[in-house]
Amino acid sequence: MIVAERKPFDEIRSMVAGYKKVLTVGCGTCVAVCLAGGSKEVETLNAELNLAFKKDGIEFGAETLERQCDMEFLAELDTRVDEYDALLSMACGAGIQFLAERFSHKPVLPAVNTSFIGVNLDVGWYEEKCRACGQCVLGMTGGVCPVTMCAKSLFNGPCGGTNKTSCEIHTDQPCAWFKIYERLAAQGRLDQIIEISPANDWSNQKPRTLIQPGYEERVKAMR
Amino acid sequence: MMTDKSNMVDITLNKDVLVVGAGSVGLETASKIASQGYKVSVIGQKTACARQSGCTDEMLNSGTVNIMQDVVLEDVAGVTGDFRVTLAKGEEKMKAVFGAVVVAPNYSYASLNGAYGLALSDRVMSQSQFEAFMDSDGLKKVAADSGSDADDVENVIVAFLTGFGQEGDPVSTGRALKSALAVQKTSGCKAYIYTGNIKVGAKGLERIFTEGRHAGVVCFKPSVMPEIEQNSDSVKISITDPVVRSTIELEPDYVVVEEALVVGQDNLDTATLLRIDTDLDGLLPSNNVHRFPVRSNRDGIFVASNSVDAANVALRIAELIGDGIKNVSADQAKVDEERCVICLTCYRSCPHGAIFWENGAAAISPAACQGCGICASECPMDAIQLGDFTDESLRKSVKDAVVSVEGSPSIVAFCCKNSALEAGEAAARFGHNMPAGFKMVKVPCAGKVDVEFIMKAFVEGADGVMVAACHEGNCKAERGNTYAKWRVNEIQKRLENMGLGKDCLCFTTIASNMAGEFAAKVNAFADKLA
Ligand code: SF4
Ligand code: SF4
Ligand code: SF4
Repeated sequence: MIVAERKPFDEIRSMVAGYKKVLTVGCGTCVAVCLAGGSKEVETLNAELNLAFKKDGIEFGAETLERQCDMEFLAELDTRVDEYDALLSMACGAGIQFLAERFSHKPVLPAVNTSFIGVNLDVGWYEEKCRACGQCVLGMTGGVCPVTMCAKSLFNGPCGGTNKTSCEIHTDQPCAWFKIYERLAAQGRLDQIIEISPANDWSNQKPRTLIQPGYEERVKAMR
Repeated sequence: MMTDKSNMVDITLNKDVLVVGAGSVGLETASKIASQGYKVSVIGQKTACARQSGCTDEMLNSGTVNIMQDVVLEDVAGVTGDFRVTLAKGEEKMKAVFGAVVVAPNYSYASLNGAYGLALSDRVMSQSQFEAFMDSDGLKKVAADSGSDADDVENVIVAFLTGFGQEGDPVSTGRALKSALAVQKTSGCKAYIYTGNIKVGAKGLERIFTEGRHAGVVCFKPSVMPEIEQNSDSVKISITDPVVRSTIELEPDYVVVEEALVVGQDNLDTATLLRIDTDLDGLLPSNNVHRFPVRSNRDGIFVASNSVDAANVALRIAELIGDGIKNVSADQAKVDEERCVICLTCYRSCPHGAIFWENGAAAISPAACQGCGICASECPMDAIQLGDFTDESLRKSVKDAVVSVEGSPSIVAFCCKNSALEAGEAAARFGHNMPAGFKMVKVPCAGKVDVEFIMKAFVEGADGVMVAACHEGNCKAERGNTYAKWRVNEIQKRLENMGLGKDCLCFTTIASNMAGEFAAKVNAFADKLA
């Protein structure tokens, strides 16, 4: 899932100052799971804002959508947004932008920082796992992502800086390629570490769109 | 609100009706629906008199017909029997629930004088301009002034040009015929019609045409557009008559050119809001031989474009809403809420707008669902099952359809029950020769043919798989055949990537009365496999 964390209160406060009526919009999927932008976080943030702006008389509305990255769910706000002068979104960056596109006449403000694609280690504890590089090599690397974990995102490693299981950047940072070595060794697949993976085409990191095979015609008809 | 009665459920329908469009057709539709005993709200810009359109004082005073001037449709959620509508008047918003919605589109007209190389002038008018001219007795005055209003002289000549600037339709033909008859009935005037295509396929048109002929209207139907010459104060029309083999020239006093219907963005926006399809010209609703012309692809949403439609819509609404309780089959598509991840794929794919979401899962209205199965085949979580065609039963049918017969390829044909299945059964009855290994699998619509089922047929050992759907534009579920074609194309690509070649899979369209053609297609496919 996508993991986010709420922005520091001061930053949010200075963004909303000056507006009269603000709608705080939560997202019920990824950011709810990582405890950053679900219905509860919307209520908490609004309580803080109400306290802070008591004297200024700013009004805060609340709404948590199923997802902010689907326009059908955003449409549920169509008849409500005009009451407000600004929208404060608690979704990930994708959701915030989609909200801002649909209601492009309204200022849309981010209440969270989108952190990464990751996994849940325990309540409130997450770890980054994937950088969406577009050319997955996990099959060669024993299921450990070198793009995410290696400080240099090397497809073929380790580099000369690998330091007794840790990365040269810090002793707390495990070396991705050491992890890969361990995993492959345990599975008896060590010969694979010798194989050279072709370098990723990093020019693919432009804004990407994707159409699943079989839906090209449908998309053409929609455009 | 549902109560179980074996496989049937009772559904409560809201008994109020919304009419979008307050022109004469919209108001007439409202009066007809009100006469059936339902309360009607009419919204839009009022462009006709309610009383002249059939609304009685009783209807208007009691609020049975409630005309909400300048109110627009802003949002529509829900399904047949329970449309939850947001209406707006300026800044003000209101919410209301209706059991059915009728669109009475307000099309406008564009003169096609350009297509005839004519410029509009005092003498050259569009059909609308001429109708206004007649309504204000313009022609009568001209005839009187020219001193030719005696019954036996015909000095003022009016020529109508229609069916060359566009393919033509009963509406535009009808307008020309009516005007021509009115001209002919005006003392001292004579009407000529030059038509490429006379379309009388609407109620009463044949009669008006005949009446016109008897009254003396002259009708030419040349095979090509007449030659037209426009000068500052005259227009000359010439055609070649194939019977007398000579050129016939006419210099009419007035020329009336046909008009094209312009759909207009407002009507298209209404269609988008209501999620109903338009036909190829953008007119509402889309054509579908499987349903009454006033019905749209969504149950409970109707379109009335003329008086005849107005009466029909009222009947269909009475049939739909009845006394507010409807008994429908529960064996339609059903969502397994535990599996549903609310991805909205089904909502976006259902051609009948039968799907919505509530409590974190997709939900399907048994009243609106037509049982095509497109949603079930598209759902990425296999969360939708169709009563009569569950995945399990279809998997079994596929397995049973793979038979090994010495000397014959095993062919599994997925056949839409609305077309191919009937064609196939007829082919067998008529004794057409088909391969012994050929077996049909009945599907409610080609849209229910999952990628998985096609692959399963191959895994079970089929030599060839055929997906047979309705012809393009003929699918009862609007797009079931299209979905099936896309899936077949996609699997063909995958088969090629696997090095198996794509010829073992084919997509075809067929009508139910094409038994011979169906057999020929099957045999051609079998030959290819051999
Ligand atoms: S908007 Fe972002 S956080 Fe919300 S569901 Fe979509 S991807 Fe996840
Ligand atoms: S397609 Fe399936 S998973 Fe997606 S919303 Fe519909 S039922 Fe749920
Ligand atoms: S079976 Fe067809 S009509 Fe019924 S809900 Fe699914 S897609 Fe819509």
